[in-house]
Parts: sequence; structure tokens; C-alpha cells
Amino acid sequence: MTATETETIPPTTTAASVRTPLALRLAVRQMRSGFEGFIVFMACVALGVMVIAAIGGLANALVVGLEHQGRQIIGGDISISRMHARITAEERAALDGVGLTSETATMRVMARTLGGEEQSLAELKSVDGFYPLVGEMKLKGRDNLDKMLADGAVVEPILLERLGLAVGEEFQLGSAPIKISGVIEKEPDGLLDRLTYGPRILVSTALLEQTGLLKPGALIRWRYAMALRDDGKENAEALSAARAELKRQLSTGGFTIVDRTDPSPQVRRTLERLRQFLTLIGLTALIVGGVGIANAVSNYIDRRRRTIATMKSLGASGRTIFSVFMAQILAITLVGIAIGLAAGLAIPSILKALYGDVLPIPPVLAISFGSLAAASGYGLLVALLFSLWPLGRAELISPAVLFRDQVGQTSAIPRWRIIMATVITAVVLLVLTIFSSDTPLIAAYFTGGLSLILLVFYGLGHLVTWIARRLPRAKTPELAIALSSIAAPGGLARTVVLSLGAGLSMLVAVALSDASFVKELTGKLPENSPDYFVLDIPRGEMDRFQSVVSGQVPNAKLQQAPMLRGRIIELGGRKVEEIKPPAEAEWVLRGDRGITYADQVPQGSRVVKGDWWGENYSGPPLVSFEADLARMLGVGIGDQITVNVLGRNISAKIANLRDVDWDSLSINFVMIFSPNTLAGAPSNMLATIGLPDDLGVAEEAAAMRALSKAFPTVTAIRVRDAVDAFNEVFSKIMVAVRVAAGVTLLAGALVLAGALATAQRRRILDAVIFKALGATRRRILTAHALEYLLLAAVTAGFAILLGGFAAWIALTQVIDIPFVLSWPAVLQALGISIALVVVLGGLGTLQVLRTRPVLYLRSE
Amino acid sequence: MNEPIIKLDGLHLSLQSRAGTVDILRGIDLQITHGQSVAVLGPSGSGKTSLLMVVAGLEQATGGSVNVGGADLRALDEDGLALLRGEKIGIVFQSFHLVPTMTALENVALPLEFQGRSEAFEAARELLTEVGLGHRVQHFPAELSGGEQQRVAIARALSTQPQLILADEPTGNLDGETGRQIIELLFSLHRRFNATLLLVTHDEALANRCVRTVRMGDGHILSDDLVSAA
Repeated sequence: MTATETETIPPTTTAASVRTPLALRLAVRQMRSGFEGFIVFMACVALGVMVIAAIGGLANALVVGLEHQGRQIIGGDISISRMHARITAEERAALDGVGLTSETATMRVMARTLGGEEQSLAELKSVDGFYPLVGEMKLKGRDNLDKMLADGAVVEPILLERLGLAVGEEFQLGSAPIKISGVIEKEPDGLLDRLTYGPRILVSTALLEQTGLLKPGALIRWRYAMALRDDGKENAEALSAARAELKRQLSTGGFTIVDRTDPSPQVRRTLERLRQFLTLIGLTALIVGGVGIANAVSNYIDRRRRTIATMKSLGASGRTIFSVFMAQILAITLVGIAIGLAAGLAIPSILKALYGDVLPIPPVLAISFGSLAAASGYGLLVALLFSLWPLGRAELISPAVLFRDQVGQTSAIPRWRIIMATVITAVVLLVLTIFSSDTPLIAAYFTGGLSLILLVFYGLGHLVTWIARRLPRAKTPELAIALSSIAAPGGLARTVVLSLGAGLSMLVAVALSDASFVKELTGKLPENSPDYFVLDIPRGEMDRFQSVVSGQVPNAKLQQAPMLRGRIIELGGRKVEEIKPPAEAEWVLRGDRGITYADQVPQGSRVVKGDWWGENYSGPPLVSFEADLARMLGVGIGDQITVNVLGRNISAKIANLRDVDWDSLSINFVMIFSPNTLAGAPSNMLATIGLPDDLGVAEEAAAMRALSKAFPTVTAIRVRDAVDAFNEVFSKIMVAVRVAAGVTLLAGALVLAGALATAQRRRILDAVIFKALGATRRRILTAHALEYLLLAAVTAGFAILLGGFAAWIALTQVIDIPFVLSWPAVLQALGISIALVVVLGGLGTLQVLRTRPVLYLRSE
Repeated sequence: MNEPIIKLDGLHLSLQSRAGTVDILRGIDLQITHGQSVAVLGPSGSGKTSLLMVVAGLEQATGGSVNVGGADLRALDEDGLALLRGEKIGIVFQSFHLVPTMTALENVALPLEFQGRSEAFEAARELLTEVGLGHRVQHFPAELSGGEQQRVAIARALSTQPQLILADEPTGNLDGETGRQIIELLFSLHRRFNATLLLVTHDEALANRCVRTVRMGDGHILSDDLVSAA
């Protein structure tokens, strides 16, 4: 035999096709028919992934912006601050050893016209000659800051509006008339210093000293920003070393220290919380969209029933069938995820372009791979979770289908391994959600609540169908047709109730909570709550203050208490940095708190444990602590607290615990010390003024003007203005929450659109038969409209009940304010439900009525 | 009743397709008197089902005149055609076309309900008993065999005691014995209600049961034979 004769002919089948798994090859052939029926699937995945990716991207951009702008935000590389006490010479020396230092002071003040006709709460900031160390103060007309401050004060434009003044005119600040020398356009370190909502007034330190506002015990925050020497500016090690050295040297000073790498831990924590909350909302939208995913897969399997039966009759195993269809589902999921990621990446850029100037922190856009990975992971897990069950049914389809007509869908329980895979996927999703959150408990409550809501609506959908089947036959054929459609096994009832129910419930819960909050804040301020809080009344002037007030308004109710600010350093023997408090009590340990001393239990407080110290108590320092917070922080009677006040550490033992009625808005504090502990410390007085209900607006204004004139250095905050300002911020937050809830509703609408599209063929055939039997278009339209209205009303009804219950729980059991039923909120939910179902359903009905009957009668 | 129940003059039906205009019916002239049983025979694609659809008002003619039950169908709008069907025409389809979400009783009662008849369900029950399904009135179509479904469809078509029964291959989806039973039922009810029966079929034996046979081919009537006196 020759070499030629022994040569073998190479195989014609390609090596590539042999190597490609069978399931993949078959899946590719199946997908030749295109993505029909999977548009909603991809849209549901894309929407949820887009929301999560966009939220993550935006939050990341703001956090990175915060970090990148760190130097500008804090006005240097390191910033230290404390209340009341200006830095001592020794402390200053420590700062000067670190780098160039700039001193600023901020406080609330009353700015008035010289004649006292107009006045406004304002935020005063004094600066030294080195300010700003970083960034630039932008003034209108590009004026020079040093020159302006030498001539008077620069102010925000809104102050000019409120006082009716112009540049060049004078206004009263404390006991001094001050010239308005310029207008502020942008403050470089404004984010860090904003206390409340008043317009900014910027003066030099020298001018502040002329106003008489710098009194011992005044509520003034002193801040010192340091710019490291050249070798420290970009050097992280030098920064850490400088911060550590400052902490060592100023350990007893009671300073709060931040550096450029984390310029505002509070803002960062808020952004992170917001990101987590909105991510949960995005996940909710994704899970609601999961219903659409399940429907799409089920319908796809039903349409491929004969194909699957044929493949099985030719020798394909159940596992092969499962793999073929799983490959297709995964491919389509990846397409949906890709679309969602692309859109999610674009949204932060769009928002920055539209609203970038309005944001307090300039966002720094960058691809956050963590956010993208999280969004992709959630998208994949949800798609798997809702696809596994219907795919599991595919492998159970019998070849006998080829020989026997099967009318309608047969429900079957998939094999155990599919059930286990579904459970495992759900658990992985749950674990990922809970442990990627900084507050796992809240995430757990949220996911638990969401699962419960979805289960409830799933059950309610079945209940609606069950009830419709058992109702007595309606008298009119239109209603009979509507009810039989609702009762149909493949009818719309379950999909409508489930897909819209969750989103509507969220909207109702948000709207009812909002209404209750607004009613509580603006309509139901407690009867005994004061009208004004007055700060910084000199202690020695209290009698004169009382006589001025009673002289202006004889029936006015006055309360008073000494007030200082201090920071908790140690609690129950542990340093504050070592304590991980629960979220609800974290605020007590961060930053300064208002503290006071008293020899009697104040109004609005009630001792629930321990004993109050007697009058003229002169023993070791004692403190009374708010009972709920003490419980959350794990301290009790006998534990020690150390507080830094005016630069000194003061320790006291907890002598008793109090319940405080915070709702009354009367003067109350978390910590009240025995008088001997703090009486020697320089402090001003805080007072509340309650005005008679029948006092007119003009008389009130006149009384407050007289008070300001008599006490030019005090600050009066109108409680209703503060509540209104909070309400405004709260409303904006509620808008954002509503938008987030609206995304869930959008997902529900997508699912509904998908279900209607799937049911369309059946609905057209039904309508054609009705027409053949003598039904006019009006009858068919009426029947469809009744079906939609019934479903919408039932869904809205359930959503109102469930959402209302959720709001009631949150308001009365968690937040502790009364629940108020708001009919606009209820009607809004009903309206949205009806609009969505009728509009989407109506589009389908239009097509139904226009279809030529013969097309469907022939082909069936 | 001297006026024919069906009168077609120069009936044309053309449809647009991607390949251009397709002439389905090319100038059909046909008159059918009351009470006649007429079979329309022809191979697939001859236009026989389209003829039935035009007479039922489910397809609009593109030329000629169509008069059914004294009404000019081309002058009626969709609602008018639906009302005409409800009053005067009963249709039996090859694929039954029962409403799957309604019971047998509800399916049969439906046309009567559209007419606003208060005795709809009593009449439906009687008819179902007459077709041998008195014990299955509460069953859904999915729970009935093919023959039973077609019996329900026949009962439904006759529930309004129409003047005209149109049947499109009524035994096409049934086995031999069941089909024979259905045809027996159909003819007995046609005689009982003295309704005109227009039956589309490809079965010569079935066509011979009718008094008249119309043969169609390529959209034309090829022959029109009276088998026996009406």
C-alpha cells in the first residue's frame, strides 16, 4: 500500500461545530426566529439594571466629587472645629506647626434694617486675612474680597431682598451698623458650614469683634483650616502624620477633625444611605419586572411546545431541552443587561449636564465598576430567579403533544433540582442585597416586606380569578363577558394585580406618609408648642428680657434654660470612636449636642428610672439622660459620661433616665447636668416664647422688632418658619422617593403591556367570535372597558389597603405620629391604576375592533 | 316566501397580497330560496369558504351585490352586519370556535343575550338537551370532546332560530363516525327549524344529502345542480 492510498480524507464537518456544545448550537438555531416575545423581557431587565447602575454611578460621582473637592470643601488639607471657645495661643502653635492656618467663625444672627422695620435670620461667617486658603470666593463684579471686607460685609443676594437694601447701604448686625460692600456669588467652602437656612453674611474677624456678638458662651463655631506645606499637599502619608500629630496635641481640646480625604463624613454617610435606599427601589423595579420575565419565558415555552415535543421524540433528553432554552434566556438577559448598563452610564452625565450647577457637590463622573457589577449581578439573578421555573416545565413536555391537542397551559411542578436552583438563586439574591448594605437590618426588613407584598399580590390575583369564576352570571352580556375574561385561566387578572399592585402600594404608602407628615408638621403643631426659640440671651439679662417680652405681649408664655454645646468623648467607659451605635442613636455621638443644667425636672420630661438630684445639690457631677437613647446606646444608671465643653472634658455619672415629650417642642435636652457641674461655665440662655392665639400678625412683628432692638445680639427663630423650611426640604425628598416608586410602577406597566400583547391573539379571536354571533363593536368595547375598570379598581383597592397599612405601621409604630387618611392620595392611586390599565388595554382593544374577522376564523 | 334568502349578483372578491391583487371570487351569480339545503363543493382554493364568509358578512365583497335575508350587505356597516347575523344567520365553523372561558350553556345562550332575550338560558338548556348534551351544560369546551364541542357549536348557531345556517366544513376536524352523527344532527335541525342550510364541504357524499349542489372552481361557479325538489 502506497502512502497515497493510506491517506485519509479529512472530515467535512467543521471542528468548530463539533466543539460547540449541542445546546448552544440548537439555541442559536432557535433564535433565528428573532426576539419576538422578548422585547418586554429585555425591557424589564434593562429598566431595573439601568436604575441600579445610574444610582450607583451618580452616588459614586458625588462621593468622588466630595473626595476630589476635599481640599476646597474644607478650605485646606485639614480642618478642626469646636463650639464656643476660640483657640488658645498654645493650641494655635500646634496648628502653625502643621502649615498655614486660616481662622473662621460661624453663628446664627439676626440682621436688621437700621430702623428695625425688617429683619432676617442669617448665617454669619467671619474670616481672617488668609481666607480662603484653597479655592476662590466669587463676588459679583469680580470684586476683591480683602478690599470688600475692609469696607464692610459681603452678603448673599437674598438678604438684600429680605431687608430691601442695596449695596452701599447699611444694616444692623448685633450692636453695630455694617455697610453692605459686595454680593456673594459662590463660597468655596460653603458646604461644610451651613447651619440652617439663612442667607450668608461674610465679615472680617475685626468687624465681628465690633458687633458685640462675641460673648462667652455664645453659640459660635470656630473653625481652623490648615494647608500643609508643599511636601504634604499630595502626600497621603504626610497628611496622616499631620492629622495624628494634631489629634495627639489637641486631644483634650474637644475639636472635631476632618481632612481632605473625607471632608464631610456626614454628607458621605447621607449619600451612601441614599444610594442604598434608591438601589433597593431599583431592585424592587427589577423584581416587579421579574413577573414580566416569567410571563415572557412561559409564553415562549408554550409557543415552542411542539418543537420541544418534536426534539424529544427525536431523542433529546430533558436536560438538553433545559440547556437549549436556558442558553437562549441567558443570551437575551445579557442583551437586556447591556442595554441597561449603557443607559445607566449615560444618566449621570445627562443629570450633570442638566443640574450640575445646582448640586452642592460637583460630581466627578467616572465608571464605577462596582456599581456596574452590582447592577449586572442583580439583573442576572432576577432573570434566573423568574426563568428557572418555566424553563423547568419545558423539560417535562411530553412528545405526546404531537398526537393530541392540548388546549390552554398545563401547569406542572418542575423537577426537584429546578426547585432547589430557584431557592438557591433567591437566597443568593437576598444575601447579596442584605450584606451589600451598610444597614443590613433595614435591607432585610425591606426585602422581607417586598417579598411579602409580592406574595400577597400573587395570592390576591388568584383570589380575584377564583371569585370571578364563582360569581353568579351577570345580567348583561357585556359584564358577563368581562367577568368570564377575568375568570379565564390565562386571563389578565393575575398579571394586572401583581404587576401594578406592588408599585401602586409603594406610591400609596409614600403619599399617605407624606400627607400625615405635612399635617403633623404644618397643621397640628402641638397646642403648647412655642412660637419662637430665642438664642444667645446673656445670662445676666434674663430679667430684662422677660420684662421686655411681657411688656410687649402680656400673655406671652416664656420658658428658659442655660444652653451650651458639647461633644460626648466617652460613654460608659468606652471612647466614642470605639462605639458602634445603632443607626437611630448614631446622631447623639457625632458632633456637638446642646446641653444644659437644671435643679428641677424641666417641663416635658419625666424621670422614669433613678432619682433627680435635690435643689442645691453639691455632690459629684451627675447627669440625666434620655431613656430611649440610653437604652439604644447601652448605658444606664451609674455609667459615666465624659463631655467636652468649651475645651474642657467634664465627666458625670448618670443619675436618672427621662422620658421626653419631643413633640411638644418645649425646651428639652438629651443630657441635663446637675447645676454644680456646669454652672461656672460661661453660657448664654435659650428661651422659648409662646404667643397668644389671638395675637395679630402686625402685633407679633412689632413685638419681635422691639425685642431685637432691646437685645441686638440675640437670635430669634420663628418655629413655623423652621417647620416650613423643613417641610420644603422634606417635600423635595418625597418627590425623589415618589419618582423612585414611579420607576416600580413603570416596571409594572411594562409587565402589563407584555401580558396584554401576549393575550392579544386570544382576545382578538374572542372578539371575532362575538362579532360572528351578533355583537356590535359597542358591546365588545363595553365588555373590554368593564374588564379593565374592574381589574384596575380591584388592584387599586388592594394597593390602597396594603399601602395604607404599611404607612400606618411606619407612622404609628416606628415614627410615632398619627396616621391621616388622605383622600387625594387614595384617589391618585385609583386614577393611576385606571389610567394605566385602560390606556394599555385600550390600545389592544382598538386593534381588536379593527381586525378583519376572516383572518382569524380561517387560520384557527 | 318567494324572495330568495340569498341573492348574489356579479359578486367579486379581490384581496391585496405582496404578489399583487388576488381574485378570490370572480363574478358569482347565485340565488338560494328559503328552506333549501345547498352544498358548495370544490377543491381547496376554489373560493367556497370565501363565498360563505361574504354571505355571513364576515368579508366585504369588492364588486357586485350581496343580498341576504332581504338586506343589502354592502350597504351595512360592521354593526349592521353583526346585528343581521344575530337575528338571521347561524354559523357553524370547522374549528368550532367556542368561547373557551364560557361553559357550554353560556356559549349557547350568548347570541340570545346579545339580542336581549330574557329566556336565553332556558332556551339554551333546551337546545343542549336536544343535541344530547343536557348533562354537560356546565362543562367548559376544554372538557368536551371534538364531537361534543361541535354539537355545542350547532346548538349555538341555532339558538336564535335563524333563517339561514352557514356551515363551513362542519365535520372537517372530526372522525368518521362522529362526523356522521353531527351531520345527522345538523340536517334534522335544519328540517325542524325550516332554516336554509348553506354547507361548504369537499365531501361528495355529504353534498348528496343536500337538495342542491353548487360546484366551484377558481372563483367561478362551475355547475349548479338540483339533486331533488326542495
